[in-house]
Amino acid sequence: MKRVLATQSHVVYGYVGNKAATFPLQCLGWDVDCCNSVQFSNHTGYGIDKVFGNVTSEKALDDLLRGVFINFPNSYSAFLTGYLPNKGTVRTMGKYYKKFKIENPNSLWVMDPVMGDEGQLYVNEDVIPEYKELIFNPDKLVDVITPNQYELEILYDKKINTFEELKTAFQSLHATIPIIVVTSCYSTLFNDPNHIYTVASIKGQEPVILRVPLIESYFTGVGDLFSALLLDRLYEYKKDIIKGIRDDPRNLFEEKMNEVLNVIQNVLLITKKYAPNSLKSVIGDATKMKDMELKIIQSKNVYDIQMKDRDARKDLHIHNFIFNAL
Amino acid sequence: MTGNNNNQEISERTKRVLSIQSHVVHGYVGNKAATFPLQYQGWEVDALNTVQFSNHPGYQFFTGYSSSPNELVDIISKGLIDESELSYDAILTGYISDVEGLRKIGDLISQLCKDSKKIKWLLDPVLGDNGKLYVSEENIKIYQEILRTASIYVVTPNQFEMEVLTNVKITDLPSLRVAFEVFREHYPTIQNVVVTSVELPEHPDVLTSACSTFNNADKNKLYIDIFEVPIIPAKFSGSGDLFSAILLNNLFSYKPVPKNEGELLKSALHRTLIQEDAILKRTYELTLKEFNHTQTIDNLSIVKDLKLIQSKDLLVDESLYSNVSFKCSSI
Repeated sequence: MKRVLATQSHVVYGYVGNKAATFPLQCLGWDVDCCNSVQFSNHTGYGIDKVFGNVTSEKALDDLLRGVFINFPNSYSAFLTGYLPNKGTVRTMGKYYKKFKIENPNSLWVMDPVMGDEGQLYVNEDVIPEYKELIFNPDKLVDVITPNQYELEILYDKKINTFEELKTAFQSLHATIPIIVVTSCYSTLFNDPNHIYTVASIKGQEPVILRVPLIESYFTGVGDLFSALLLDRLYEYKKDIIKGIRDDPRNLFEEKMNEVLNVIQNVLLITKKYAPNSLKSVIGDATKMKDMELKIIQSKNVYDIQMKDRDARKDLHIHNFIFNAL
Repeated sequence: MTGNNNNQEISERTKRVLSIQSHVVHGYVGNKAATFPLQYQGWEVDALNTVQFSNHPGYQFFTGYSSSPNELVDIISKGLIDESELSYDAILTGYISDVEGLRKIGDLISQLCKDSKKIKWLLDPVLGDNGKLYVSEENIKIYQEILRTASIYVVTPNQFEMEVLTNVKITDLPSLRVAFEVFREHYPTIQNVVVTSVELPEHPDVLTSACSTFNNADKNKLYIDIFEVPIIPAKFSGSGDLFSAILLNNLFSYKPVPKNEGELLKSALHRTLIQEDAILKRTYELTLKEFNHTQTIDNLSIVKDLKLIQSKDLLVDESLYSNVSFKCSSI
């Protein structure tokens, strides 16, 4: 059985953090052990004064992960982390995830170093060195990171203005991280405001560029859904390569990345279909934000999209998003 | 629910439940047992966690903490109801061990159900099992108070909880009937009662489940439907939480729609018992396979983790048990 330990936020209403990751992974056959870094009524996009609940303190998180580690040190085939509210909780997560990874060297650790987006930090600055410590750790325990471009620039300590610079950044980070997936690049990087570009890089290979049409709306939780799906597909990727089921790693990696983005695209289309006509959510307007929550439940049948089903599943929109034009 | 849905492809609004129970990182009890089955059956589940533990206490060691009662109440009343203007089809409440938390949440949910008659409250009065109380004596009084005053759609005590709430020891079918009579007398605002897994000495090979609808036209008659489910030689942590979740779904979605409340309750309970039995059997078989490598079968009297993910087909595909039915009678 596939079992993942996922440490990120929990919201009672809506789909971000563990709420966005858990159900899709469960549909894909994963036992998901959710360790909640916060419990909020809804996500903070509703307006900070409209969110009720609490963050899990460093001490409480330490206690919780200690219990999990003592009872189930060898139960996991993968580890996932997302939003953690502060320095202490990032450090605590790191402390136990390192222990788990050392106990289970063949497991897959996917880390979304959630710090901010589009030039804005949404954690305190003192969180940055904690993520750097985990990512640049000489023990090389983290397998995959999923920063957005802003977070990548923070980790790399430099602005990235061209694709060549992006490749140089990858080379630098590949010293300790085998797989880097930049979930959304700035539109200036490819001079194209109409598409979202995702670039995925495996150490020693040319990066894979994927391009999906931009859907005009404000959705939250997409990044959390992304890292969850990526975890599933990269776990399968590793398995197929190790077991010798596939001997074309490059094609398989492209295929898996394509699957992740196709699932997301279909979830967004379903979400849009359910939303009131032409509604664009406005951050801070709770009643409107509410209608733009990802339709995670209604998307039950799209999580297992495979590229080879492209012609068979007419109910879905399956495209090749690989971008070769550079 | 605000927002007009103009899209014709979407015929039915997704049902939404607020589920207030415990959370464990590892395993399937409380909200972890209820959420996935309900989601997989098409529900939006707003899971409010009363505690966060590493695993359930059935393991020898666990860590974790409880959320404060005020925090839980604020999340519901300020976050969900006031700010987001949410409306629920159902509210599911399970394990709430904290005395003050139980009182506050009980008051709040009672008021919500009073304000909006369309919310259906399924209350699992979690007190203990097999003759053992696992909350404080004070919790019993609070549950009794809630049951006396609130309008609750369905209450799902196990045998021990039914005994505690009615002060009637259940040893045979006549005493089971007495327990239902006392329950109806003490708690007249409750609409439906389902007593799960009663063990009767005269029927050692089966677990008995019983249900009754109290808001029948005929106040003088009490009809109780009884089902007999062949016993599986193990106890399963989380089975009660799974039961209340799938019962909730069956009460909302049983097709064809039965002609009255009593028929609905009886049909929904029967379907729930069949689904639960199928999931427990699969859990047992899969656990047995794991155990064969390491331990003897004697150790399998308590199964700690339901195999819910591996049972997802059983939640939605009725053809998998279309030939199963359990013996039914009335008293």
